[in-house]
Amino acid sequence: MARLVVLGGGVAGHTTATFAAKWLGSGHEVVVVTPNAKWNWIPSNIWVGVGQMTKEEVTFDLAPVYAKAGINYKQAKAVSLNPNGNESGDKSFVTIEYTEVGKEGQSENVEYDYIVNATGPKLNFGATPGLGEGSQMGEHTVSVCTADHAVHASHELEKAIDKMKNGERQKFLIGTGHGMCTCQGAAFEYIFNIEHELNKAGVRDMADIKWISNESFLGDFGMGGLHMKVGGYVVSSKLFAESLFAERSIEWLIGAHTSKVEAGKVEYELLDGSKGEEEFDFAMLIPPFAGVGIKAYDKDGSDITDTIFAPNGFMKVDANYAAGAYENWKASDWPRTYQNPTYSNMFAAGIAFAPPHIISKPMSSPNGTPINPTPPRTGMPSGIIGKAVAHSVVALMTQGENAHLHEASMAEMGAACVASAGKGVFTGTAAAMTVYPVVPDFEKYPGTGRDTDYTFGEIGLAGHWIKHILHFLFIYKAKLKAGWTLIPE
Amino acid sequence: MKKEEINFDKRDQFTLTMIPGSFARKMRTCLIWQFIRFVIINLKMIIVVGKSH
Repeated sequence: MARLVVLGGGVAGHTTATFAAKWLGSGHEVVVVTPNAKWNWIPSNIWVGVGQMTKEEVTFDLAPVYAKAGINYKQAKAVSLNPNGNESGDKSFVTIEYTEVGKEGQSENVEYDYIVNATGPKLNFGATPGLGEGSQMGEHTVSVCTADHAVHASHELEKAIDKMKNGERQKFLIGTGHGMCTCQGAAFEYIFNIEHELNKAGVRDMADIKWISNESFLGDFGMGGLHMKVGGYVVSSKLFAESLFAERSIEWLIGAHTSKVEAGKVEYELLDGSKGEEEFDFAMLIPPFAGVGIKAYDKDGSDITDTIFAPNGFMKVDANYAAGAYENWKASDWPRTYQNPTYSNMFAAGIAFAPPHIISKPMSSPNGTPINPTPPRTGMPSGIIGKAVAHSVVALMTQGENAHLHEASMAEMGAACVASAGKGVFTGTAAAMTVYPVVPDFEKYPGTGRDTDYTFGEIGLAGHWIKHILHFLFIYKAKLKAGWTLIPE
Repeated sequence: MKKEEINFDKRDQFTLTMIPGSFARKMRTCLIWQFIRFVIINLKMIIVVGKSH
């Protein structure tokens, strides 16, 4: 019997573990190590953050689901890897530290034959002074990155609405909290949902709403923007996004690195090198992401973290990390199997893999401050990569080390993105977008880098219905209810 | 002044983009049209999902 250890229980880790357990059956063991007791459908945190859903509606307990799937669940965080074992033996192991109530702080070495790193990101609030400390959010702003953060954001929004009802004007600042953030989409959804809720509450005229982002143009989304078919035209996402903001009278500040956060004020630096300040009463600023900081040690105890992980803490996989300048970047730089180049029994999935480079054009201010979005790897790509990695690991475990590895390059993979612009069965809207492929391939699609037949976007009630259906569908799938394997990632 | 023209005047950065008129806005929440779009968007998304696996 061989053992697969999956680090992380988010979209990528949960997909990998549940498919692997199903395909392997009882002949092999699957272990999931995740510090969280609950699974969270993160896209719906947006609705929790405006009080339209509760935390309970977007989360569920992992333990009973893993018990049903025959998965050995350890509520703990991974601390370090010993891929060559230690002085006591040659067996690979991961050192974990329990977070489970009653076992907090207890350590254990979990041996593995195969390991998949799907930890997701560390929410690196500490990268911006005043935004937070380490992975802990600070006191000046709110976030929708976790369900608990979203609940807190909702309470703060309620207070702001009460103030407006009492005649006090409020300034809302939504966007990214650092020059190297990704996940602009979440902030994009949140700002439109706030605008929608303020309209519903009858206080929109008492609010000034402003977007702040590290994108060099609105609609970059960390993918260098995209060209989509709208109304018979092929148009840039810049025009699409600017239209949404202008229609709602929301100002934007782009190419901005948020350099400091204080009570009621942020300091920023722009791509032209100028610096400025922006005051706020309510701010939701997404933190930058980093790897969770797992260390790696060789048999003799020497530190080999640099061998396995990139400097940003994400795991090295089969990507081309020596692509060089932007002009040399190709779609083929992007990983296909997500296997670690040094240790063939080690894979990464979802946000945890180190991308070869960003997707957007790299930019920095004259002061040398990099200001560009980092690549999105959440949602559909995370699920597809997780499933491909599960296929590969299962093949290796059942057919031997020469088994064929499955592939899922982000340069050959599309993504469906449904960005809510307000909740309501008959009054809600959402921007429904698909992009194919996620990473543009200018050799295959000269011009826009993407297939414009399958890269499209439109806003309307239909998008809202789709987002709502996806909410129930993916939670149903994650709970492993009847027919869950038929629901695509 | 028509509703869609009001915001163009509010900020310099709004003047260089497009703002939907009343017909486009109405169609966004028109149940019949949105049901048709719902079917079409779903079909397109299923194709993209299929091409990605």
